[in-house]
Amino acid sequence: MIQLFNVCKAYQRGQNALNDVTLKVDKGEFVYLTGPSGAGKSTLLKLLYCAERPTRGQILVNGRNITRYGPSRIPYLRRNLGIIFQDFKLLKRRTVFENVAFPLEVLGRKRFEISKKVYQTLKNVGLEHRLQHHPLQLSGGEQQRVAVARALVVDPLILLADEPTGNLDPEVTLDIMELFKRANARGTTIVMATHDRGLIRQFPRRIVSLDAGSLATDDLPLFRGEAGMSGYSGMTGQP
Amino acid sequence: MVFRIVYFLKRALRNMWQSPVLSLASIGTVAVALALLAFFTIAVLNVQQLTASWGENLAIVVYLDDVPEEKIVKGWVKDIDSYPEVAEVTFISRDAAFERFRKRLGDDADLVEGLGADVLPASLEITLSDDWRSESALATVVDRLRKDHRFDDLQYGQGWLEKLEAFLLLLRVSGSALGGFLVFAALVIVANTIKLTLYARQDELEAMAMVGGTSLFIKLPYLVEGALQGLLGGFAALALSFLVFQVILQRTLGSLLLITGIDTIHFLPPVWQGMLVLGGSLIGLLGSLFALRKFVRFVAP
Repeated sequence: MIQLFNVCKAYQRGQNALNDVTLKVDKGEFVYLTGPSGAGKSTLLKLLYCAERPTRGQILVNGRNITRYGPSRIPYLRRNLGIIFQDFKLLKRRTVFENVAFPLEVLGRKRFEISKKVYQTLKNVGLEHRLQHHPLQLSGGEQQRVAVARALVVDPLILLADEPTGNLDPEVTLDIMELFKRANARGTTIVMATHDRGLIRQFPRRIVSLDAGSLATDDLPLFRGEAGMSGYSGMTGQP
Repeated sequence: MVFRIVYFLKRALRNMWQSPVLSLASIGTVAVALALLAFFTIAVLNVQQLTASWGENLAIVVYLDDVPEEKIVKGWVKDIDSYPEVAEVTFISRDAAFERFRKRLGDDADLVEGLGADVLPASLEITLSDDWRSESALATVVDRLRKDHRFDDLQYGQGWLEKLEAFLLLLRVSGSALGGFLVFAALVIVANTIKLTLYARQDELEAMAMVGGTSLFIKLPYLVEGALQGLLGGFAALALSFLVFQVILQRTLGSLLLITGIDTIHFLPPVWQGMLVLGGSLIGLLGSLFALRKFVRFVAP
């Protein structure tokens, strides 16, 4: 589903954000991108949704080389992706319903179809009673659930999440992870950047670790079944 | 397709509703700039109309100290009438000239009481045709008449027409320059106002780009918004200039204008009114376009 070949990304300051990263993520996989701040997690995700261009190397998404995608093709790539940010990036002047409906409006879906799909998706994230609220009337966890609903409403092939639980308390983090697990179970490939080791222990999946822009480790889950959902403390620690 | 148009229109209206201060600033800017332009256009059009009517009255007068027999006068009239530049030649006898003068005096007509008709000379009044109403045509006809020794006492708008033409040219050039400047200023201000709106909505633009909105999809509501603001600004300019026209130009300056020989001053003709409103819309559209050029670049680095 996702392939990176010798990908480098250098910013103007001269330091490489990514160094010769080669990586393969299969369809339906759930991969954690982890590493300390500045390791290149966000840069890698940005390369996948074409917010940044690689300085060198090739990137294939769903079998297509997106490295040299022109501006006119990028929106069509993003329509197959769900993107979630730490700061939610919701439209503050729009209601919850309108926020989630927006990607479907972009796709030009009919109004009836949009209403039905949005309601269904918001029900899945447990926010069907908040349809007419504005984002700032919601808690952080609820806002992130709206962001998840917005990402999932188009049934994306790939979900890219950049520290989606970074601003949330442990309980809400569990809710969000449950939503990710369900999406993954339905076949959505998930790449999630996080430096929360506790979370990774809680929901063990493949871990791709970056350090100073280079691929440090690429491990299969070591902690599967080690701790139940109730045991998640939200603390960051070493495995 | 209709659904899409309605969708973009709704979003544009909604954007305006959500940022009323910035929207009003854009509308106000267009309105003030176009109203100034409208005032100036009203002034230029009226002056042009006035000077055109002055031009229509332009005539060459040949004074006749000794009036020959009627048959000879008719011959002269026929000769001058054959000039291609001449529209009409009228013989004004001493009596007719005296009567006209007396009428012009109106209530003071008794001033000429007791004077004989022979105090005023007879004359031939020569009017130029519309196509030849210019300084050069006038000079040609005057030259031709001077060479003819039958007519030696000529009076015409010496130098006056030249000055009138120069004045009209100055008015047109300065009008175009000022109009261009005002439109440019409105364009820059509207572009900057819309840029402020876009700064306020940067998160929205980014979110649109992240869910796969094409450049056109993101830009279109803002373009429609700019055009709508410009359109409203155009209507406001029209209303404002009409109000000023009614209250100040017609009522306050009405009596003053009569002195200069202007019976009525005219508002912008319908075509100009339409151009003003459409011009506002165009300014808004171009302003949005300039503002958006830089803004949607993050869609694709």
